[in-house]
Amino acid sequence: MNVPNVNHLIHAYRIAPWRVQRQWIGNTLLLVVAFAMVAALYLNITSRTAIAGREIQDLTEAISVSQQVSSDMQTQLAALTSAVAMETRARELGFRPMEPDEVEYLVVPGYVQPQPVDLSTSALPQLSALTIPPEYNQSLLDWLDERVTATRGPQ
Amino acid sequence: MRQQFARRSQVLAGALLLVALAIIVQMTRIQNSPEAAIFRQQAENYAYEWRTFYPNRGEIYDRNGRLLAGQVTVYEVGVDLINVKDPHAIAFAVSETLDLDYTQTLDVIQNPPEGISYIVLADFVEASKAQYLQEVKKALQAQATAGTSGGLTGLQFKSHPMRSYPENALGSNILGFVNREGKGYFGVEENYDNLLAGNPVKVLVPTDPNKAIEIPHVPDGTTLILTINRDLQAAAEDILDASLVEYGALDGVIAIMNPSNGEVLAIATSRRMDLNKFWNYGVVYDNATDFNPAISKTYEPGSVIKILTMAAALDSGTVTPNTTYLDTGSVLIGGVTIQNWDRNPWGVQNMVGCLQHSLNVCMVNLASQMGANTYYGYMDAFGFGHLTEVDLAGEAPGRLKVPGDSDWYPVDLGTNSFGQGVAVTPIQMMAAASAVANDGRMVIPHILYGMVREGRQYNVPAQYGGSPISEQTANVLTEMLAISLESESSLALVPGYRVAGKTGTAQIPVDGFYDSSETNASFIGWGPVDDPQFMIYVWLERPSTSPWGSDTAAPVFAEMAKKTVILMDIPPDSIRQQIAAK
Repeated sequence: MNVPNVNHLIHAYRIAPWRVQRQWIGNTLLLVVAFAMVAALYLNITSRTAIAGREIQDLTEAISVSQQVSSDMQTQLAALTSAVAMETRARELGFRPMEPDEVEYLVVPGYVQPQPVDLSTSALPQLSALTIPPEYNQSLLDWLDERVTATRGPQ
Repeated sequence: MRQQFARRSQVLAGALLLVALAIIVQMTRIQNSPEAAIFRQQAENYAYEWRTFYPNRGEIYDRNGRLLAGQVTVYEVGVDLINVKDPHAIAFAVSETLDLDYTQTLDVIQNPPEGISYIVLADFVEASKAQYLQEVKKALQAQATAGTSGGLTGLQFKSHPMRSYPENALGSNILGFVNREGKGYFGVEENYDNLLAGNPVKVLVPTDPNKAIEIPHVPDGTTLILTINRDLQAAAEDILDASLVEYGALDGVIAIMNPSNGEVLAIATSRRMDLNKFWNYGVVYDNATDFNPAISKTYEPGSVIKILTMAAALDSGTVTPNTTYLDTGSVLIGGVTIQNWDRNPWGVQNMVGCLQHSLNVCMVNLASQMGANTYYGYMDAFGFGHLTEVDLAGEAPGRLKVPGDSDWYPVDLGTNSFGQGVAVTPIQMMAAASAVANDGRMVIPHILYGMVREGRQYNVPAQYGGSPISEQTANVLTEMLAISLESESSLALVPGYRVAGKTGTAQIPVDGFYDSSETNASFIGWGPVDDPQFMIYVWLERPSTSPWGSDTAAPVFAEMAKKTVILMDIPPDSIRQQIAAK
């Protein structure tokens, strides 16, 4: 194919009227698709957020119920092991109170006398807002900002 | 042809554009219409709701983690009047199960106050009864024909916690109680009411799941750990109950404290109530001071106070243990003749004999030699006339008349020296005597060992109330007291353990005169002498078998001490010394 023919084809392509129309249609479709994607993403995130929120509400309620049940059971257990109940049970089993001269003391190296109770339950640090991964509380703009900052690197 | 298609396409595109514009215009119009504003307002009304939270009141444990005060779930049974289908069925079921009057219940449901849509039929209903009613409601709903409502439709149940005391009456005088409104009365419940808290809170809660993060966190009350040892408390109550019978006493107190740090280990009082039935308060007690006499009821302690008079005399240098005097059986002070308890002279006595025989004449001489200023200065330093600041509600300060008071007379210096004419509480006596047991340093008695909040425990450090006497005085006096008990073969002695202590027998003032027949018998003691780990105070009110503290309170002390060394794992002196030698 010689060069003048190629130039002729390129020129014909450039001035074809359908080309301009296709460009318009393509751009419009691109916009529509982009809008649809953003809308779908928004809908998806919103619905997931709502579901998570509902789960939080349910779990909050469940925690409250569990705490009540736990308190009930602790109190029941305490009643079953009360001083009077335990003494009655011990006597039924044939035990009797000990006298001081019946006690035999042994020296056990390293033995440490029991200390009063420690009811601490939080051996590990409490989960706080600072320890929640950023994925759970970062907005899209925050994330973009972070990425841009990371890309720039240290100034 | 081509132009024709192009025109049609343009017309179609224009039409679609118009439709799209019309939709947008309509959407905008609807969004901004008055109806939209109404809907938005309605949505906002449902976005939040008022809800009552019932946070748990803080629990109370003994030092070994035994639950003394906890929670149980109870129910409020009410009627949603809008949804009631059969008021007769509801009235019948509720009145039968909850022992309510049928006619009254029916009347309340059928003729509620105007503007009311929910009424409470009963509150604090036991879980078992509420669950029974719930099952009946379900069964009636299941039996109802499709599309109709069951007979108990409209009956509603709301659960909430209620204070419960699994040990019932054990330590009731220490714990106090909580009424239906959640307010604490007496003891720990009143003193730490704000900390234990857990009162119902009405707050706005978002119903919108997107606002779940705004759900308020209502924290439970602070959990308290007491210094009390439950088993020791139970033993003290048993021993006290038996002692009242054995010695025919009207009332009594046994209090046990660690004299080195002020931790109160047990306080047994003769009058106790089942805290789960707090409405019986008026039946059990005549007045508020009866709830915990160990801290609220003042009395003239008698000779137990001689420990402190002697402490003052030794510490001020007025006498030494070997100082002697001639006991003639009586002494004149302020124009009044004071006699010994047996009205007899005891001849030449040193200070150990003075304590051993509990000689009033000796004490009057000591107080006179010290002078009022010195004597009352020491008594003030020992805390008489002041609150000990024990962390229990209802403590009484007692009364110590001092020179300058309108009702103080010179004879009071003499009578006060042997425990008459002065009003103290058992806890005051223990706090004062702790100075002698604890190398001169006086402790502030306390009942709170630690508190737990948000999973973290904070322990309360021991607090001290000054040093009214020197370490040397304290140790010398402890030795004198131990020798005096051993010399008279006191009934307070504990085999295997060396203890120090003093009996007290005090006449009871009635209408300005001392009753000649009835006494208050007391004993205060601590041990082991070389490493005091317990201090026991015994007060028997009006014992009838013998008026003397040495015959009544002293053996109760010994019995209590024997129990204490077992429950506190305190080996006999010989074994402890062997261990120390190794």
